[in-house]
Amino acid sequence: MSLLQEQKYLKVYQKVTKLTSMVLDHQQVMDTIVRSLPDLLAVDAATIRLLDTETGQFVMGAAHGLSAEYLSRYSIDTEETMEMIRSGYPVAKTDVDLETDHHDQELVQSEGVKSVLTLPIIFQDSIIGMLRLLTRDKRIFTADEISFSMALAEQVGIAISNSRMFTEMENQVDFMKEVQEISTLVNSSLDLSAVLDTIVERLPRSLGCKGCSIRLLQSQRNQLELVASYGLSETYLQRGHVENEKNVEAALSGSPVSIFDVRQDDRIFYKKNMEEEGIQSLLSVPIRAGNEVIGVLRILSDVARCFTSSEINFAVTAAEVGGVAIRNAKTYQQITLLFNQIEENERFLADILDCIRPQLLVVDKDKHLILANKVFQKTMSRSENELLGCDYDGLWQNQDCDEDECPVTRVLTTGKSATFTHKIMQDTEVHWCERTASPMLGSDGEVEYVIEVIRDITTKRQLEEEQLERVKLQGVVELAGTVAHEINSPLFAALGTAQLLEEDLENQDLIDDVNTIVRNLKEIGVLTKKMTSMTGFESRDYVGDAKIVVIK
Amino acid sequence: MAEILTLDDVQDATVLIGKILTKKGHKVHCFTEEDKAIAYAKENVVDLAILDIKLEKMSGVEVLELLKKIRPSMKAIMLTGYPTVETAREAISLGADEYCVKPIDRDELEEKVEKVLKARGNKSAMSV
Repeated sequence: MSLLQEQKYLKVYQKVTKLTSMVLDHQQVMDTIVRSLPDLLAVDAATIRLLDTETGQFVMGAAHGLSAEYLSRYSIDTEETMEMIRSGYPVAKTDVDLETDHHDQELVQSEGVKSVLTLPIIFQDSIIGMLRLLTRDKRIFTADEISFSMALAEQVGIAISNSRMFTEMENQVDFMKEVQEISTLVNSSLDLSAVLDTIVERLPRSLGCKGCSIRLLQSQRNQLELVASYGLSETYLQRGHVENEKNVEAALSGSPVSIFDVRQDDRIFYKKNMEEEGIQSLLSVPIRAGNEVIGVLRILSDVARCFTSSEINFAVTAAEVGGVAIRNAKTYQQITLLFNQIEENERFLADILDCIRPQLLVVDKDKHLILANKVFQKTMSRSENELLGCDYDGLWQNQDCDEDECPVTRVLTTGKSATFTHKIMQDTEVHWCERTASPMLGSDGEVEYVIEVIRDITTKRQLEEEQLERVKLQGVVELAGTVAHEINSPLFAALGTAQLLEEDLENQDLIDDVNTIVRNLKEIGVLTKKMTSMTGFESRDYVGDAKIVVIK
Repeated sequence: MAEILTLDDVQDATVLIGKILTKKGHKVHCFTEEDKAIAYAKENVVDLAILDIKLEKMSGVEVLELLKKIRPSMKAIMLTGYPTVETAREAISLGADEYCVKPIDRDELEEKVEKVLKARGNKSAMSV
């Protein structure tokens, strides 16, 4: 190598070093290199591709001097070249447009590429990418050029790695802050939709992505349900089930998945929908709650990007924070639902108790009132607050009832249901009550509470009394009819015979006597007629305890 | 003069009816047992039957039904010591001409017998 050549290389090296040391963002480093190298090395174009350690593929980092069609070709170079690069060796080729084993020969020819120098970018003995220098004129790269380019590529590797590390550190600090903020936000709310919305809005913003979606597993059907999204169209969100997409399957099994190019990745099923939505890269991470995966969080980028491990870690951590908050919010939601149901059931039962006609009350074993329905409150003319806690015996102080017969006392003593009927005065009217008490047993079999149902049986008792009166009257009427009938036939014979005798007699005294007999027999006839047509009677005092009846 | 059958479980009552109506010139046949009264009616002419409703074995209404089958043109006066709407309605529906409540007055009995027999005569005349 001539001195002049050496000086030239030194200048180029210095320039590249200066350029790369001026910027800290690794994308800027790569852009600077690919823009500067063609002039410095007298080539037509330059590209830098970075190795995606997850897929083992080299993905585009920066390019200059080449068309988009050429850059998006299927394969970068022949398998042989790629193998050499992966092994850390440079490959210099001429007449690449004439290579017959190249998949994209037509694209190479239309781009006019003739010679390519492909160099591995190595950092700390690891391949992190490749640098390609391309010419449209046939050029044979000399050993010195290759050697210098290798050194340059190494310098590029250092610059990229440094900027990457710096960016990573910066990102990690940002991500820590972000995780802390997300954690504070989601843990400050038990509203499930607010928690979900916070996550889907904050995460893509932190990662500089287009949008985000959260799908949670429905435990009963083992299906994912879309529960929150941000930055994505309804058409895209409704594209279909995603359970069988490989990236989702992997996330559900607990592994995060980063996809650089969704259009060409087998782990994507809805490629067309993603293209229409403008999505290029994707990060799919599991949402965990404890040891259980409860859903999938997907972050979608509208620019092709390779998610770094710190970005992936950030997303996984944020998803985990979200998972715990989601589970808490769901638990709270279930508790609230359950509580509302209990409250509703309680209201329903209270309404039933208030609507039934009998009075109902419940007392504890110390005979304190713990429940009284509205009918009982109304009967007692006291409010619920006045009644609850009252001494049960005190309620009946002014009523005509013996404590020994009290059904509640009997239930507390015997443990068995008891019924008692007693008379109470309401205003000036007599009312009859039937009080039935039943035990409510505790787990130890002892009476814990007593339920008492009080029915006003005044009407029933009145009906019973009337029925008894009717039966008595019916008996009396039948008896009177029978007696009358039995009397009437002999009376008829006696009366008729006396009348015949009266007619045959001549002695006036005897005629008067028979006449008296006839008159009295006719009186008996009037009485029996009354008896056969009686409809009621009235008892009247006679002598002492004896009574006589007046026929009506 | 008419052939009159009288049936009452109280013998004195039948005897009395017999005395009253005999005095009026009728021929009265007194019975206290249902079987004998029915048997008599089968063999002999009866213009009028005076039947008590309460008897020993059957009711007067049942006897009336049988007698009417034997002698459809026979007149009937029902007597009862215990009048009810049901027995009155049944007796009338079976062809009783009068329904009297005991103790019936002698004059009332004579009057009702005459009235029923007169109606029989008119009916005969009409049928002639």
